[in-house]
Amino acid sequence: MAVIRNAVDPITLQVIGGALDTIAKEMGHVLYRMSYSSIIRESQDLGAGLFDKSFNTLCESDSTPMHIGSIPAYLRGIEKTLHDPWKEGDVVLHNHPYFGASHSPDIAVISPVFWEGELVGFSGNTAHHVDIGAATPGLIIDVPDVYAEGMLFKGIKLYEEGKLNKALWQFIETNTRVPSLVMGDLEAQVASARLGVRRFKELLGEYGKETVEQATRQLMDYSETMLRKRISEIPDGEYVAEGFLDDDGRTRGKPLPVKVTVRIKGDTAEVDLTGSSPQVPTAFNVPFEGSTKVACYFAFRALLLDTATTEEYVPQNEGSFRPISVIAPKGSIFNPIFPVAAEARFGQIQRIVDLIIKALSPVIPERIVAGSSATLSFAAYSGVRPSGDYWVFLEVNEGAYGGRPHSDGPDSIDELMRNTRNNPVEDLAMHLPLICDRYELRDDVSSGAGKFRGGLGVVKVQRFLGKGFMTHECDRHDDAPWGFMGGHAGAGGKVETFNASDPKKITSMPAKFSNLQTNTGDCIAIYSPNGGGYGDPLDRPAATVRDDVLDGFCTRDYARDAYGVVLTDKLELDEVATAARRKEMRKSAA
Amino acid sequence: MAKIGVDVGGTFTDLILEIGEGANRKVFVHKVPSTPHDQSEGVVRGVLELCELGGIKPADLKLIVHGTTIATNTVLEYSGAEVGMLTTRGFRDILHMARHKRPHNFSMQFDVPWQSKPLVKRRNRIPITERILPPSGEIVAPLAENEVREAATLLKSRGVEAVIVCFLFSFLNNAHEKRAKAILKEMLPGLYVEASHEVVDVIREYERFSTTAMNAFVGPRVGRYLKRLESALRAKGIGAQIRVMQSNGGVTTLENAAEHAVTILMSGPAGGVIGGRWCGRMSGESNAITVDIGGTSADISVIPEGRLRVMNPRDTQVNGYPVLAPMLDIDTIGAGGGSIAYMDEGGAFRVGPKSAGADPGPACYGRGGVEPTVTDAQVVLGRLDPEHFLGGGVKIDPALARKAIETQLCPKLGVSVTEAALGVIRVINSNMALSIRANSVAKGVDPRRYALMPFGGAGPLHGTALAKTVSAKEVIVPPTPGIQAAIGLLATDMQYEFTGALLTVLTKADQAALDKVNARLDELSAQASKALAADGVPASQHRFVRIAECRYVGQGFELRAEMPDGRITTETKKAVLDNFHKEHRQVYGHAFEDQDVELITLRVVARVPEEPVKWPALSSSSGSDPKEAMLYSRRTVFDDGTTHDTPRYARAKLKAGHVIDGPAIVVQTDSTTLIPPGWVANIHQSGNLHVRERG
Repeated sequence: MAVIRNAVDPITLQVIGGALDTIAKEMGHVLYRMSYSSIIRESQDLGAGLFDKSFNTLCESDSTPMHIGSIPAYLRGIEKTLHDPWKEGDVVLHNHPYFGASHSPDIAVISPVFWEGELVGFSGNTAHHVDIGAATPGLIIDVPDVYAEGMLFKGIKLYEEGKLNKALWQFIETNTRVPSLVMGDLEAQVASARLGVRRFKELLGEYGKETVEQATRQLMDYSETMLRKRISEIPDGEYVAEGFLDDDGRTRGKPLPVKVTVRIKGDTAEVDLTGSSPQVPTAFNVPFEGSTKVACYFAFRALLLDTATTEEYVPQNEGSFRPISVIAPKGSIFNPIFPVAAEARFGQIQRIVDLIIKALSPVIPERIVAGSSATLSFAAYSGVRPSGDYWVFLEVNEGAYGGRPHSDGPDSIDELMRNTRNNPVEDLAMHLPLICDRYELRDDVSSGAGKFRGGLGVVKVQRFLGKGFMTHECDRHDDAPWGFMGGHAGAGGKVETFNASDPKKITSMPAKFSNLQTNTGDCIAIYSPNGGGYGDPLDRPAATVRDDVLDGFCTRDYARDAYGVVLTDKLELDEVATAARRKEMRKSAA
Repeated sequence: MAKIGVDVGGTFTDLILEIGEGANRKVFVHKVPSTPHDQSEGVVRGVLELCELGGIKPADLKLIVHGTTIATNTVLEYSGAEVGMLTTRGFRDILHMARHKRPHNFSMQFDVPWQSKPLVKRRNRIPITERILPPSGEIVAPLAENEVREAATLLKSRGVEAVIVCFLFSFLNNAHEKRAKAILKEMLPGLYVEASHEVVDVIREYERFSTTAMNAFVGPRVGRYLKRLESALRAKGIGAQIRVMQSNGGVTTLENAAEHAVTILMSGPAGGVIGGRWCGRMSGESNAITVDIGGTSADISVIPEGRLRVMNPRDTQVNGYPVLAPMLDIDTIGAGGGSIAYMDEGGAFRVGPKSAGADPGPACYGRGGVEPTVTDAQVVLGRLDPEHFLGGGVKIDPALARKAIETQLCPKLGVSVTEAALGVIRVINSNMALSIRANSVAKGVDPRRYALMPFGGAGPLHGTALAKTVSAKEVIVPPTPGIQAAIGLLATDMQYEFTGALLTVLTKADQAALDKVNARLDELSAQASKALAADGVPASQHRFVRIAECRYVGQGFELRAEMPDGRITTETKKAVLDNFHKEHRQVYGHAFEDQDVELITLRVVARVPEEPVKWPALSSSSGSDPKEAMLYSRRTVFDDGTTHDTPRYARAKLKAGHVIDGPAIVVQTDSTTLIPPGWVANIHQSGNLHVRERG
């Protein structure tokens, strides 16, 4: 390690690093445990941390990857829009997608940290709010512009020097469909931000401002060094992968291209999204600062500093962003121009990550995962209770991973940029006029065959117990997850609706739809994409394929067709027939 | 009355024997090597040897209390039963999907234990047609009994050892689970058969199913082990009652432990915490932070006002599988004597969680370990004398410790051997202090009002440094820090816990709604009384604590609120609400007193107080100078970097009233206590060592 003048010694550095990490954890914990809406408390769709006065992340809670790394962009947006200078005790709200926000429902709550009268940094968090008074309850797809997203906050002080702006509070309460959830969640966010301020000051008091600031610089350098080392192991060059998105949620049948070019040069990486679709007229665009860039940072961190295979804990901070640069042309779906809406952005950024992996797969085959679902089924169920109050429920339906160099792709799990928790079927049904009729692994189609198979997606059926509305943000019905090194492609997702009184009369739905009006007994069945396989299916041990059949991960026919494994009627392995069939399949492949 | 506490650890089985009555009680302690292939062998050997040491006949033993890792090991080794499961059609994969959150945020190659090592294989999860609907629990699709019978036949042909019945909404209506279980019992005699509402009657399907599956997975092996242990003891003529320590810190019968094996998953660490509380009580101290430092990990727990804290059920898990069984709130971190210190490729200085374990162990053991560990650092600093290390039982070579630090750390850190060793200690102490803070300050506990209690062989070397960092008021070192968990076994109560789901908005509940709560509480209390009576406990000794697990309407995480005795009325429910708001403020620093509060789960805890072990009081010294205990002096380096000629005192020769001024070191067979310059140790009559900063 280079010797830095006045460097904090490695021992103190480790002590301060540990303290920062603990603070971030505690901030995240308070936020999700205290909050009201299931999207925050169960799904943990939130991020929390401390930042220095130049907006560098010092530490962030280990909650949802999408939020990690997004807050600095909010801080830069606040700096541009704050109506008067920071004061001790301020609490600021911010969610403007054209001023750094990840997307408008992710409201940031930020407090400045003052030390001996001087601004030294920030404590803050972001959390996904159930409803901010957008055009349709909970989520939006087919809307004209950013104003249809609901309440927009640009560096607005909710507290000025510790004093609550009651008018603003009342305004928010009036403009959300579910004030009982949103106001409780905001309170939890304020509590978490204040806790961070207190802990940051304690740290400064204990070690002194100079030492803490120097230590945080070194911790960032450390994370940067670790990532650069891994990047430099990848051969220099330009790596390209392409895919497409189903549609923009309005113009059906018109797919949107996504093109990712990764340029590795020494210990740096550039992600160029040129060639991807122009911006679309609906909400299906991605805020550049708060989402597009964050996805690129995530991809490299997860691929190259994989926490399951990296023994050392590399702190989450700005350092791991530095080796990565991101290009997306102005006016493209990944860098839209105001005032187009940009709320429904998750499926697209999942595809950025998926295509970065695909682009790099020839050069780092041991680190990658074959095509994952790489989408998001985000369902907003809502309705009006007899009391006249709205109910709004946001549900994240999981996907699956592709096969991996040494293991099968995990089934039915939050993949890539998301990592939320599901809502207990029993808990929801006790509190909402909605009931889950089915929740299990998909069995209508197989996952991608491979030496290591792709994961199976999920099927979930929700039934309305009364009249209601629904908006669904999703993608990837058409472009199935890719297989790798002989592994087969997975399967696209699908959405179907029917009424419980006539379950055979099925309507096939596009992945994205807005404000569907529902009646009693209407069911929505959501199937998420299955992952692609890794490696030649003929290399999967026959006994393992038999286990797959016994466990219902694939059918007996599929075992024969894709894996060349022949089972008897009693599902015993027919070794002779299997050897013959595999030989024949190898021959015809060659 | 003769009773034994026997705690099985990874390396040693620790035992304590108490004989005699009232003031004439005597205590003996013993250690034998553990026998991992069958823990009962070591236990029986230890018990017999200890009886001989205490001069009693094995037949005279009245009680044996056992702390065991058998259930935990079954999970860690993935060596439990082949389990079959009947579940609601349409929901076959609840166990496979879990909460759909993966264990790593930033990873592509992560493992998902509940998928790669399922408690019930998918082929053995059989969907059954039946449907119960919320919120009333009405049956909309009757149980397809023919499907249950077919499933039983299939599972039987597959040779499963256990079958569980897990239906949705059984917390509202358990009729289908009951009926399916009856059919299974009839068709599969001799098999372990259990329904989810019997294992844990709570809302939330995944956690309930997972707990039920875990119980079936570990139950048969635990049952066999306990039976084997019982017959081995009986064969030696020991007719004593045998009790098992549970994760919640209470003990239970062999039968109950076998039937509810999920309740003993954290049996081992619980003993240490109870031992910590016992040790504090001897000195009249009820606020304690216990730090149990072993070879690879440290267990940290906070005991406010003598109350053992129970973990929130949302956090209780074993090896990644959620288990809804009450567990003491213990935080385990990868920091121990064997933790390895190294510089990683990015230039960060690390101590743990990599560990040299027991084999090869620290470099100074001379068993082939070359990487410097915390123990090596202590040796280099002159704090562990070869002649006293584990009573001289393990040979240590200071030259090897020195060499490990000199070659592995010094060049990279650019400092001297002593400075590097001090750095190792500082980082490991910092890791432990962070965990203590996360479990105290972060949960509204002020460590300045607490005594820090270090134990485990290595604990008392770190006690003062930790106390200083977290601002604890003093350090209390127990009489025998190395066998604290065994002591805890003789210092706790019989305990049973029964839970029942009952969702009702308390703030709005009228007397009729509250009477449903009362009826449920009565049911749970009756179950508890029945269990106690079956154990031969007279009704006069039954004590019940009733707990309402509540949350604000709309929240998803409950907190525990204690309920007042007697019938809950619209008047007395206020006490429950107050307790809930108070708990919420304590845990999160904030309460929403104007919000509606919803009751989710009722819990009745039945306790039978037992007389705790009594450590023999020390005889009083004639003066404060412990000169008769003084052994010799040696150069020792302290955390502030100063080196002193430091006297060693023999713990066994210290008497009540002795005062030791730091710098000093107190040695005993199973532990070493560091008293830095500026600190002073007072020897308490109870045998506890009170170490405080002077002034």
